[in-house]
Amino acid sequence: MTNTATGIIRALNSGIKHIATKRFTLRYPEEKLKFVGDGYQFDPSTGVGIAGLKGRHMLFHDHCTGCQLCSIACEGVAEAIAMVKVPDQQQQNKKSIMPQIDYGKCVFCGLCVDACPFYALYMTNDYELSSFSKEGLIYTPAQLAVKPYVEQDSEIIITKWGATHG
Amino acid sequence: MTVELPPGLALQKVDERIMTLNVGPQHPGSGHMRIIVQIDGDYIVACDPDPGYVHRGEEKMAEYRNYITNIPHLERPVIHDSCNALYPYVLGVEDLLGIEVTERAKYVRVICSELNRCIYTMYWLAIYGIFLGHSTMFMWPAGDRELLIDLMEKISGARVTHSHFVPGGVRNDLPPNFEEVCLRQVNYFEKRIKEYAAVFYDNPILISRTQDTGVLSREDAIRLGTTGSVLRASGVDYDLRQKEPYDVYEELDVHTNVMKEGDSYARSKVPWLDMMESCNIIRQALQKMPKSGSVRVKLKPNPKGKGLDSVYKRVESGRGSLGCYIVSDGKVEPYRLKLSVGSFRNLIALPYLLKGEKLGNMPSVYWSLNYWPVEADR
Repeated sequence: MTNTATGIIRALNSGIKHIATKRFTLRYPEEKLKFVGDGYQFDPSTGVGIAGLKGRHMLFHDHCTGCQLCSIACEGVAEAIAMVKVPDQQQQNKKSIMPQIDYGKCVFCGLCVDACPFYALYMTNDYELSSFSKEGLIYTPAQLAVKPYVEQDSEIIITKWGATHG
Repeated sequence: MTVELPPGLALQKVDERIMTLNVGPQHPGSGHMRIIVQIDGDYIVACDPDPGYVHRGEEKMAEYRNYITNIPHLERPVIHDSCNALYPYVLGVEDLLGIEVTERAKYVRVICSELNRCIYTMYWLAIYGIFLGHSTMFMWPAGDRELLIDLMEKISGARVTHSHFVPGGVRNDLPPNFEEVCLRQVNYFEKRIKEYAAVFYDNPILISRTQDTGVLSREDAIRLGTTGSVLRASGVDYDLRQKEPYDVYEELDVHTNVMKEGDSYARSKVPWLDMMESCNIIRQALQKMPKSGSVRVKLKPNPKGKGLDSVYKRVESGRGSLGCYIVSDGKVEPYRLKLSVGSFRNLIALPYLLKGEKLGNMPSVYWSLNYWPVEADR
């Protein structure tokens, strides 16, 4: 009986202590979590990636040769990448084809970035890709060339009074 | 002509006392599966677990994809434990292709694997808490899990489906200044989970609900072939990290947690104790890890196996032994790939545990088996 009483008092006591601790929740649209680096990148010369968030892709038109390796890498995974004709003529891109990514299918594994040997594709910190239509999720090469503006500054801070997103 | 009907659909002899009850698959307390229980008043007479509602054919799909594109698929059965789900596959492919992994990559893998074990166990603990009606135990693990998800996000760039392990090492090196951040958050995480004792594990209400329910004896646990925390809660000291060390586990001091009772309480406590052990392993690995060096061996674009060959590798996942059997015939795709998962092996104990229990004890026994329906169905 005394064991039961002390057990319940201990549980209540632990709950009361948490009134004084700081709130851990991230207030999402107002605060955004900060990530390391500038997004996931891959260095084909060493064969090792660079740590970062796997978010929306970024395509460099002046590096892309239209070799379709990203599309082939995606074939067995999500089939999100399609090669489409682009109007702008690049010297290195004879066929004028570049990847178009369907984010309704993409699983953000980043294997397309690993497959690109020309430093043309990398992933940025942008993860807010919601759209009102399925067509809105298909990003054309022109849309992928725009570097997204991200404002992320919240980090986990651990103090004596508990952890919080500051 | 008689037609064999699946269990549950077949007409049963009407008995005035026995009632057949379907728990699931829509019921939130069952996960993606159905448990057919026959009850006499408040007592369970017989129980027939019926998995298979989320079968996705992962094993067959793997035969049509090459060794690299299989990676995002094979972690999908358990997204919360995705590094451990990939681990046996990656070890097996390395064996088939004859790749030697660098020392630093092995340590990074161990850290990722232990972080993932904690992430999975916290998710499981949150579900276990809410189905015992303890909503604080749902909120706390779901929140504290964020500390480790943040670490995995820093390492791999994804919150749950990391796709981080590849044959030949890991995809990318640790970010700069990671050791310090990891140590700080893991230490705080350990401090937090120790607080769960007062609210949950030493709580007399929880103890009265879970103690002496669904007792699995040591002999039965071995005979039924259960693994992981279910086996360790029945008094068998068996952990693959200790008994068959893979990667760098033999250089680390791994301590296993064993309880003798074999009831729901012991089965729910062993994973919690394992999480503290995981924090210990992470700290050891951070200390012993080589400070620099490559983490990935460069492979040819489409690696091939060397002729007819097969390999079986297993690791200790959050739910017990997780094995992967790969047969290669020298092509870019595996010829056969089979997974042996801990969830499915633990489910076999459910009919034995529930016989004679009260219906109200079903959630505490069912969830204490550390069962993950999606993994069991593959």
